[in-house]
Amino acid sequence: MSSAIENLEIFSRIQPHEYLKRFLDQSVRPDGRLLNLFRKTMITSGAISTANASAMVRLGGTTVVCGIKAEVCEPKVSVPNQGYLVPNVELSPLCSPKFKPGPPSDKAQAVSEFINQLFIKSHIFPLESLCIEPGKAVWVLYADIVCLNYDGNILDASLLALTTALKDLKLPKAEVSSSMVVEVDSTEITEPIQLSRLPVSSTFCIFNNPDVILSDPNDTEETLAKETVTIVTDLDHNLVRIYKNGGTTIDANGLKQCIHNAKQRTNEINSLMNEALLK
Amino acid sequence: MSRLELITPEGLRVDGRRANELRKITAKTSVFSQADGSAYIEQGNTKCLAAVYGPREVRHRMQALADRSLINVEFNVAPFSSSERKKRSKNDKRSLEVAAFIRQTFEPVILTSQFPKTQIDIYLQIFQNDGGLLQSCINAATMALVDAGIPMLDYVCACSAGCIDKEPVLDLNNLEESADTPELTVAILPRTGKVTLLEMESRLHVDKLASVTELATEGCMQIHKVLDGVIRQNTEHLMSRLNA
Repeated sequence: MSSAIENLEIFSRIQPHEYLKRFLDQSVRPDGRLLNLFRKTMITSGAISTANASAMVRLGGTTVVCGIKAEVCEPKVSVPNQGYLVPNVELSPLCSPKFKPGPPSDKAQAVSEFINQLFIKSHIFPLESLCIEPGKAVWVLYADIVCLNYDGNILDASLLALTTALKDLKLPKAEVSSSMVVEVDSTEITEPIQLSRLPVSSTFCIFNNPDVILSDPNDTEETLAKETVTIVTDLDHNLVRIYKNGGTTIDANGLKQCIHNAKQRTNEINSLMNEALLK
Repeated sequence: MSRLELITPEGLRVDGRRANELRKITAKTSVFSQADGSAYIEQGNTKCLAAVYGPREVRHRMQALADRSLINVEFNVAPFSSSERKKRSKNDKRSLEVAAFIRQTFEPVILTSQFPKTQIDIYLQIFQNDGGLLQSCINAATMALVDAGIPMLDYVCACSAGCIDKEPVLDLNNLEESADTPELTVAILPRTGKVTLLEMESRLHVDKLASVTELATEGCMQIHKVLDGVIRQNTEHLMSRLNA
């Protein structure tokens, strides 16, 4: 019995494509999931007391922690009444043997930029709500997302951690005094930031042989897939962003299937997030 | 400017502890799947995570040691961990110094001669900084190394102590550390009581050195009990699963 298990392990290492294919032909995945199921998601909010807001998300094995710190700075001259949100995703050697020490890898930079563009282009929350005094002082929200364990689908987990933390963020009252000094009154807290839309991302990966689309790929599936497609929807089931970067082709039905799954996922996530924020 | 009373006349500190009380410690091992060994320690409000990868192939062939394993430590503080956001680069001198201390602490304790030409990586991540960074890192690293199954001579337990108003106090938090208190961190091997690390950067009168070191050593023994309890519990759990 144990030698059969050893043979399976050896097979999964020398022929990973074939190994995965055997499972996919039976419409199931090596970890026992059905093709369109997402992994168990756990959201915890407010774990880090030194941050203005924080959230930890576990998506199967992938674990990320997001901490938001608010600082004051001068606004850009072109948009004097808008603050900024600066997301930064850290994929360090701590979370997986795939990442080497040194400056942020391509993957970390790509994920950070994806989140950044999402917030800028899709108007997730009005940056004017971060204004303290137009032209003089605005809030800058530094969102640092640290990955603790990497098991695929870092994008969904990071975005989820960031939106949960943002929903929980309460900024202290700030005023610019006559001597041009910004006084922050940490005893008085303003209303939490109102998000105009709540983006939820769902990532799928596409295989050609057999022609299947898997939801929420884990690390091995991600490396073996031809391409990953990410669909970001909001709570009203509007499409916020579709990201397909051109590794292979997918037909219209496949894309419709992805969008349908993404909408279901958005509902799940909404209830999970509300539970987490109530605690 | 009013001076914050770090220790009241009744002998209570800012967080309600007595001079010789440790903060509450919770520890967990095997928290992550990718790392060979991992541990998470919360000491009061200081939260520290350790992940150990190894023994594995050396990254740069030239650095491999022919007769033993290379130990590499990386120390990283999350930008949201202190009350002011500080994006500390991984290569700044302070982080490198702490990493070097930890490496030198573990080098004589890990049985490196059993794994020639390999590398053992210890990654430390701080999520919340409330004082006692060096001690939490060493304790977390010990648990993670045990979880990874890497043979060591003994546990390495660390504890910090200081001197407030001429009285030795145990386990300083961030407020006490920043208030100009002399602070000393000691790491020992509990079974023999041997010291592997002793670090002090501030000014302490030489007459007080013995009592502060003794207090810190006692703190280490208390921490050892907690860590040992967690490891044994996890091992029993594993054994029951294996035998089932």
